[in-house]
Amino acid sequence: MNYLLYIDPGSGSYLLQAIIAGALGVAFYFKNIKNYIKSFFSRRRKNEDDNIPS
Amino acid sequence: MPSFIQKDPSSFRDPSGFVFQKDYLVYRQVNKDFKDHFDFFISSGCYKKLADADLLIPHQEIKENFTGDSNWYTTLLPEQIRFISYPYEWSFDMLKDAALLTLSIAQKSIASGMILKDATPFNIQWHNGKLVFIDSLSFERYNEELPWIAYRQFCECFLSPLLLMHHTKISLHSLLLAYPEGIPLAVTQSLLPWKSKFSFHTYLHVHLQASYAGKSAKANQKVSFSKKKMLNLLLSLETLIKKLKSPSKPTTWSAYYEEASQRNDYVERKKELISSWVSELSDIKDAIDTGANDGIFSEVLAAKNIFAIAADADPLCINNLYKNIKALEKQNILPLIIDFSNPSPAIGLNNTERKTFQERVNTDMVFALAIIHHLVIGKNIPFASIANQFCKYTKKYLIIEFVPKADEKIQQMLKDKPDIYTNYSAEKFEKEFCVFFNIVKKQEIGSSGRVLYLMAKDE
Repeated sequence: MNYLLYIDPGSGSYLLQAIIAGALGVAFYFKNIKNYIKSFFSRRRKNEDDNIPS
Repeated sequence: MPSFIQKDPSSFRDPSGFVFQKDYLVYRQVNKDFKDHFDFFISSGCYKKLADADLLIPHQEIKENFTGDSNWYTTLLPEQIRFISYPYEWSFDMLKDAALLTLSIAQKSIASGMILKDATPFNIQWHNGKLVFIDSLSFERYNEELPWIAYRQFCECFLSPLLLMHHTKISLHSLLLAYPEGIPLAVTQSLLPWKSKFSFHTYLHVHLQASYAGKSAKANQKVSFSKKKMLNLLLSLETLIKKLKSPSKPTTWSAYYEEASQRNDYVERKKELISSWVSELSDIKDAIDTGANDGIFSEVLAAKNIFAIAADADPLCINNLYKNIKALEKQNILPLIIDFSNPSPAIGLNNTERKTFQERVNTDMVFALAIIHHLVIGKNIPFASIANQFCKYTKKYLIIEFVPKADEKIQQMLKDKPDIYTNYSAEKFEKEFCVFFNIVKKQEIGSSGRVLYLMAKDE
């Protein structure tokens, strides 16, 4: 395919971008687990609240 | 190229096409080399999706080769931008929204199998009350195995100035005048406080990248990338930028009208007077409000369907005005940071790539309300030079307020400096301005002692 690239990504920038994106992958993975656990408990609390007889 | 075609002096970097002007309309030529990407941009629905969401300027395709260029593929006639502004004239939140707009467009185009091949704020302009992306040739087919070519450019053009303003709490918009292609990451890194290293996203995008700069990868080193990685990269930039806050230390002018409005009915009377004068003039389409502060007089114009450039040297006032315009979805006001004692110069290749502020302004009306004493007494600029400058900005009219020397504000300004302004009088003011203008109307604003003039440019 013909790419018309005209800006300079910076030497070594592609490799570094791969490293940064890798680090972000790990960080977002743990963040998602954290968010899942958080939402699990808040959902359970909400359910419990809902079950309280009025 | 025929002589009636004027190629835009800023449109030379990208070989995919160029911008030109013909009969006062701005067109964009798409070159043959870029045919494949451009066709896919349209057929994938990417263009429609972005234009329908008001993120990208809509265009009309015209199958006519105006330039006679052998590399011509097609011609686009985009909706016309009323006034070209540059990022060094934008406030913090404008640049922040421009950055978020770029990221949002990058994410949406990936979903359509395309990617942004450049990320500069010069691709963004003010159109119908908001910032929109104007470069329809910035999109190319997305190859999931490749990282983002515009990543470093994005970090230097958007992230660097925003982070510096966030951390220093100072408006540094003029840094983009010194570094129009982005503030080098090494510069940003050395100016940021050491604590910024503890921000995970800042560390990755600035500190790590800056320390890595210049170290080249081995020739055959294979870099593996994926769509997931690309989306994470964009999400990380977005998360970081959303958290950044504008410098909000109160400045000299940030509470000016709050204070001014307490002076009897001065502001109200001035508004009424201006409104009635403007209503009597039927031929005003656009105007520039110099020293606009929070834009209350620009709003008088906007309410009459006149496009107003609300310019002020105070970044905080302009930022507040921008937030107000955005929240209330006002269409007709463009807020810009302009210091009238030092308006934006021409920069870039041949000093023609980005035009001076003066070259770009050619409005039907200029407002110069309570600014004259700041220029004359605050900056020692003679009346004649100011009259000459306003004469170049306007095609027809000038509404100017003269503040007499006895005014409380001038007395405050003269408290700590010798009064060398023996020429500062209403007579001298009228005499110098009458070299360029005719006085059409003249009236004192209430009992403030300040006088409002409606002047018409000499034919």
